[in-house]
Amino acid sequence: MPSRRRTLLKVIILGDSGVGKTSLMNQYVNKKFSNQYKATIGADFLTKEVQFEDRLFTLQIWDTAGQERFQSLGVAFYRGADCCVLVYDVNSMKSFENLNNWREEFLIQANPSDPENFPFVVIGNKIDIDGGNSRVVSEKKARAWCASKGNIPYYETSAKEGINVEEAFQCIAKNALKSGEEEELYLPDTIDVGNSNQQRATGCEC
Amino acid sequence: MNNSISSSSDASPIQFNLPPLSLSLFDAEPSTPQEEPNGVVHGSSVSHFEDSISNEIEEMSIRDHPPSVSNDSQTSWFPGKRHLDEDDASISWRKRKKHFFVLSHSGKPIYSRYGDEHKLAGFSATLQAIISFVENGGDRVKLVRAGKHQVVFLVKGPIYLVCISCTEEPYESLRRQLDLIYGQMIVILTKSVNRCFEKNPKFDMTSLLGGTDTVFSSLIHSFCWNPATFLHAYTCLPLACATRQAAGAILQDVADSGVLFAILMCRHKVISLFGAQKASLHPDDMLLLANFVMSSESFRTSEAFSPVCLPRYNPLAFLYAYIHYFDDDTYLMLLTTSSDAFYHLKDCRIRIETVLLKSNVLDEVKRSLFDGGMHIEDLPPLSHSGSSPHLGQHSLRLDSPERLRESNSSAGGAAGLWHFIYRSLYLDQYVSSEFSSPINTHQQQKRLYRAYQKLFASMHEKGIGPHKTQFKRDENYVLLCWVTQDFELYAAFDPLADKASAIKTCNRVCQWVKDVESEIFLLGGSPFSW
Repeated sequence: MPSRRRTLLKVIILGDSGVGKTSLMNQYVNKKFSNQYKATIGADFLTKEVQFEDRLFTLQIWDTAGQERFQSLGVAFYRGADCCVLVYDVNSMKSFENLNNWREEFLIQANPSDPENFPFVVIGNKIDIDGGNSRVVSEKKARAWCASKGNIPYYETSAKEGINVEEAFQCIAKNALKSGEEEELYLPDTIDVGNSNQQRATGCEC
Repeated sequence: MNNSISSSSDASPIQFNLPPLSLSLFDAEPSTPQEEPNGVVHGSSVSHFEDSISNEIEEMSIRDHPPSVSNDSQTSWFPGKRHLDEDDASISWRKRKKHFFVLSHSGKPIYSRYGDEHKLAGFSATLQAIISFVENGGDRVKLVRAGKHQVVFLVKGPIYLVCISCTEEPYESLRRQLDLIYGQMIVILTKSVNRCFEKNPKFDMTSLLGGTDTVFSSLIHSFCWNPATFLHAYTCLPLACATRQAAGAILQDVADSGVLFAILMCRHKVISLFGAQKASLHPDDMLLLANFVMSSESFRTSEAFSPVCLPRYNPLAFLYAYIHYFDDDTYLMLLTTSSDAFYHLKDCRIRIETVLLKSNVLDEVKRSLFDGGMHIEDLPPLSHSGSSPHLGQHSLRLDSPERLRESNSSAGGAAGLWHFIYRSLYLDQYVSSEFSSPINTHQQQKRLYRAYQKLFASMHEKGIGPHKTQFKRDENYVLLCWVTQDFELYAAFDPLADKASAIKTCNRVCQWVKDVESEIFLLGGSPFSW
C-alpha cells in the first residue's frame, strides 16, 4: 500500500475589499506581488502543496471578493471549510471593525458543527505602508479582539514585502489540519432479506 | 438551461413505412412490481480494495492504437489513471476531449479522469462555485455550452459530477454517463456516504475510494465500446440452448440455498444467471457490477469476498459478493446478504464448477468466445423456412478455423449492411453483430457506437417522440432505427446503400434474431422482472 494518504484542506479568506487578500495569497502561493489593484470577482481559487510533520497536504485556498455585492455567494462558498482567515488592513479602522461581521457571517453560513472551536486566523496586513506611520489599529487592540473570540491566532503581515506571510499560512495549515482530525465514521448497512415483513407491505403478493 | 440543447441530428429524420412484421418476437413475460428494498440490519466496515498499480502504466492514447481486426477493442486498452502529472494549467490537459470530475458539495475533489485530484483542487472549487451560484438563485445548472465544449452537471445530494466534453455526444448520453459514474461510486460505497457529509460537510471522500481508479477509468472507457452503457440492457454470450440450460440449472440450484443472485459471466456477457424469488437485477447494476469485478485485478488471482452495493436494488446497503474466476474470461458472482456466508458460497462454487466441467460448459464458452456471435455475412435470406437455423450455419467458419474472411472494402452483409444492434424490450437484453470489415478498427467502432448513441438519444428524446423509425444518411453511414413495442433495431449500412433494400435487410435481421433467439438470449425461467 504505497499510496500515502493525502489531506485536502479548504481555506477561506475573508475581509473587506482592498485589504490585500489576493495579494497575500499570491505572495504565499506564487511569491509574487503586484502594486496594481484588481478586484476579485466572485472568488479565486489557488492550491498549494504543503509539507507538515512528514505529511503532505494540499491547501485549497478560496480567495473571495470583498465587495458586498458578492456576499450572496455565502453558503456555497463557506460550506465545508477547514479554516477561515480573516484579513484586515492595519491602516483602516473600518476594515478591522468589520472583522466581527465577517466572522459572524461565516459562522452563520458555514454552520460548522463546533462554532466555538472553529479555527480562525486573523491577519493584519499592509504593515509596510508609510513605514507603519499611517497605522490606525494597534497590535494590542487587534490581539485583544482575537483573545475575546476564543484566542484566535494573530499575525501581522506585509504581502508586499513578504513579511510573516509564510508563517501565517503555516499556522493556517496547522489549525486547519487539527480541525480535520476527527474523522467521520463511515458505517454502511447490509440488506436483510430474511426479515421480510415490512417489505411485503407495499408490494403485490403474486 | 435545458432549452439550449439543440437537436443533434444533421440529417432530418425521414419517416417511412417498414413492411409490417407480423410476428411479435417474444412473448411478454408477466411483470411483477419492483420489490421494495428492505431495511437495515447491522453495520459493517468496508474491506480494503487493492491499491492501484496505475502509476506505472505508460502513457498511451487511443489514437496510437494500430488498426486491429479484433472485435474486443477493450482488450487492447490498459486500465488505470493516466497523465497524473497534468493539471488545469497543462496544455495537454486542456486538450483532452472528455473530462469527468467528481467533487463534494464543498468543492473538494473526489475523482478526475485526467490529472491529479489535488493539483486540480482549484479547478474543482471553480466547478462547485458555478453549481452553487446557480443553486443560490433557486435554479439548477444542467448544461453549459462553451464553443465546441459541453459542460454537463449532475448533482446527487452532496456529490457533484461534471463532464466537460467536445465529443459532440448528446446531452442525454453525457448525463447518463455521469449517472453511471455515480452508480459505480454507490457500488463501492453505498449511499451511506451521504450521512458522512450531513454530519461533516468538509468530509473528504477520496480516502474511501483509495485504489479504485481503475474501476472508474475502465467504466469511462466502456462508454466508447460497450452498448450496454446507453441501451439499459445486457447481452448474453451466444451458446447452444442446452449449454445455457445446464448452467442455468445449477445456478438455480444454489440460488435456492440462500444466494440472492447467482451470475455466471464471460467478460461483459452473461452466460446465465438466476435470482432468488422476487429478487430482480437491473441491467445497469449488472453493468456496474461486472465492471467493478473485471477492472479489479485482485479478483482474478484468487477467490474473493467483497461488499458490493447494487444501486438499483438497494442503494443504501451492502450485499456481499463471492467472486471466482474459472479462467481468464469466465467468472462467477454469488451475491448474498450475509457477511459470513463465504464458506457456504465457496461450497456452492465448487458444486457449480463440478457441473460446469461435467457438462462441458466452460469449453463451450471458450469456443463461443472464439467464434463470436452473429456475423452479418451469415445473414440468411428472409424466405427460408423449415429447419430451424443455428448460428454459424451459413458460415465458412466451421470449415476454416482461421476464419479467413474477405476484407476488401466492399465487404459487409446484404444490401451493404455493416452492423446492427437488436434490443429486446421484454428481456432487457440486446444482441450486437460482430464487427467486420469495414468497421474493424477501434476508432471506427467507437465512431459507430457514438452514432448509435446519438440515434438512441434522438429516438428517446422527450417531448418530440415517440419516434418509430428513423432513416439517416450521412457521409459515414446509412443509419436505420426501428422501434416497436417489442424491440429496437439499430442498423448501420454503407452510406450508398439503397433505402428499400436496407429496409428489407432489417426485416431479415429481425427474422434472423427471432430464429436464433434461444442461443443469443437468456429466455424465460428466470425471475427477471422490473
